[in-house]
Amino acid sequence: MAEVPTTGQDSAIILDRGYRSYDGPSTGRGGAMAAVVKEGYRRVLGLRRKAKRKLFPWTLIALALGSAVLLVAIEWVSSTLPVSLDTSGLFPRYAGYFDFISTVALLFAAFTGPQLLVPDRTQGVLNVYFSRPLSVRDYLVAKGATFGAVILSFWLVPQLLLHLGFAALSPAGFLSYLGGTTDILWKVPAAALVYFTMHASLAFLAASFAKRVGNAAAGFVAVLLGLNLVALLLQEASSAPGTKWTSLLALEQHPRHVRDWIFDLEASATIPAQAGFGPEASLMVVIGMAVVSVLVVGWRYRRLT
Amino acid sequence: MSDGPTGPRLPDSPIVETRDLHKHFGQVRALAGVDLSVPPGITGLVGANGAGKTTLIRLLLGLTAPTSGDVAVFGTPVSRDAAGLRAKIGYMPEGSCLPRDQTAADFVAYAAELAGIPPAEARRRASETLFLVGLHEERFRYLGDFSTGMQQRVKLAQSIVHDPELVLLDEPASGLDPGGRDQMLEVINRFREFGMNVLFSSHLLDDIEQTCDWVVMLDGGRLLRSAPLDPPDDGAAVSVEVFGDPLPLVTALTARGVEVTHDGRVVTAMSSSDDVFVAVRDALAASGSSIRAMGTDLRSLEDVFMAATRESNG
Repeated sequence: MAEVPTTGQDSAIILDRGYRSYDGPSTGRGGAMAAVVKEGYRRVLGLRRKAKRKLFPWTLIALALGSAVLLVAIEWVSSTLPVSLDTSGLFPRYAGYFDFISTVALLFAAFTGPQLLVPDRTQGVLNVYFSRPLSVRDYLVAKGATFGAVILSFWLVPQLLLHLGFAALSPAGFLSYLGGTTDILWKVPAAALVYFTMHASLAFLAASFAKRVGNAAAGFVAVLLGLNLVALLLQEASSAPGTKWTSLLALEQHPRHVRDWIFDLEASATIPAQAGFGPEASLMVVIGMAVVSVLVVGWRYRRLT
Repeated sequence: MSDGPTGPRLPDSPIVETRDLHKHFGQVRALAGVDLSVPPGITGLVGANGAGKTTLIRLLLGLTAPTSGDVAVFGTPVSRDAAGLRAKIGYMPEGSCLPRDQTAADFVAYAAELAGIPPAEARRRASETLFLVGLHEERFRYLGDFSTGMQQRVKLAQSIVHDPELVLLDEPASGLDPGGRDQMLEVINRFREFGMNVLFSSHLLDDIEQTCDWVVMLDGGRLLRSAPLDPPDDGAAVSVEVFGDPLPLVTALTARGVEVTHDGRVVTAMSSSDDVFVAVRDALAASGSSIRAMGTDLRSLEDVFMAATRESNG
């Protein structure tokens, strides 16, 4: 840094930093992966972007958080009524909340996965990533971690609001409620993880081939909902023994089937359950999709680079 | 080429070495038996489109593996520690590499973080680097709103923000108007002040002549020449415009072992030795040609490249 006096006055100087060499510490590959995660988070939430990029994600987040606040508000209103009203069966709680915001969550996943992968590829930014000490594996792991952090936050933060709200309104008291519902602390994250795994697998598959974010998001939603319809029609059209296997095509239904298992609920009317498959089969499908996604996306990116 | 562990590098030791380097993409031969040793400084990588320039750069970065042969940067085989070497290398790709929805400052800082610079320092360096390339005022604008020239400068900034020892520039002046090209070359010339080595690919020979100390010429995946860009070593050319038929003069020059080209009545004699003047005088006397005009000039890089290409093609 050169200090150049300008006027001869002691207090007036120009600080010309200029370009300097760097001999400070290096954060290495870990730092590079952390940077990818941070930047991915910013991109999907539209942070440090133009206002129009914030609109879609924050609308969906507001819907998710708003619905949790609404449910707590309903609980509060019902607790102030002169007559005792059991709202647990009327309004969704922990397990039911997954269904309550499933459409919003589906759209959020459809938007998030492609945002993480498509622009880097179509705008040539991969050239910059892979000229740094970052491997294809590091890049994809970091992107997967970003997706996990964003989607799990999307599922879990409203659930946490619900949990704390219900605890605060519980007639038994805040701490007693928390103490009596410790199982929620693993059941909700476990169910969210299953939903994330299925959504991430499909979203990354779509995103690794599509040339536009919108195409990938549309493909993701079309595959999930379209396969549901196909599986349903095949189930209803034929009673041949082999037909039951086609129920496994209903990819969107498997996380719900596993969630029922986690929460010890009676199997809901999911297509695989109606075909006679247990939740273990649905869990295997979810894991299988994750394996397929890792292999295909990994192959695709190795080919690209 | 050193196979030993990386030690302190001598100031004059080669920054890039290749040995019998081959790279094929299916049936397409991108590089064929390239033996190369590039000294420190600014080196031009010259060749027509498809000559193998980008493939060589990608091999140096370890982004693709050679079909056979060896490639080393700073004495370390790329196959041994590609990630470690990439921390010391900056790369400016030829094509687009900028996210349209980020500001220049955010993107260059991000590029620094990807190279291992801590976040706070990365932001500082991004600001300084954008100042160097003349984009300090525009650093908070979105890249999607930048002109081609400004985007090229951002690409250059991201390639040097982490203070690399070697910068690989793939057609840095591509798509720029003459003013933008001059500014870009001026910035690249300043890299010497920062102790950076540069390998600079271009098919624009003027750019190489203005900027480089050393030139590597590729044609069809083969190495034509790797030598200093030193005009005296490239010899001289004498152009003679004659009255009447130029062929007797061409024949007489050729008989004296001088490389000759002719365009209409203008005959150009080129030789790496200073005897070209003597040869022209003798050939004029022997052929009886009448001179209309005569001039001397140094051989341009284009002449050297064309001659090397002709020689290579037999």
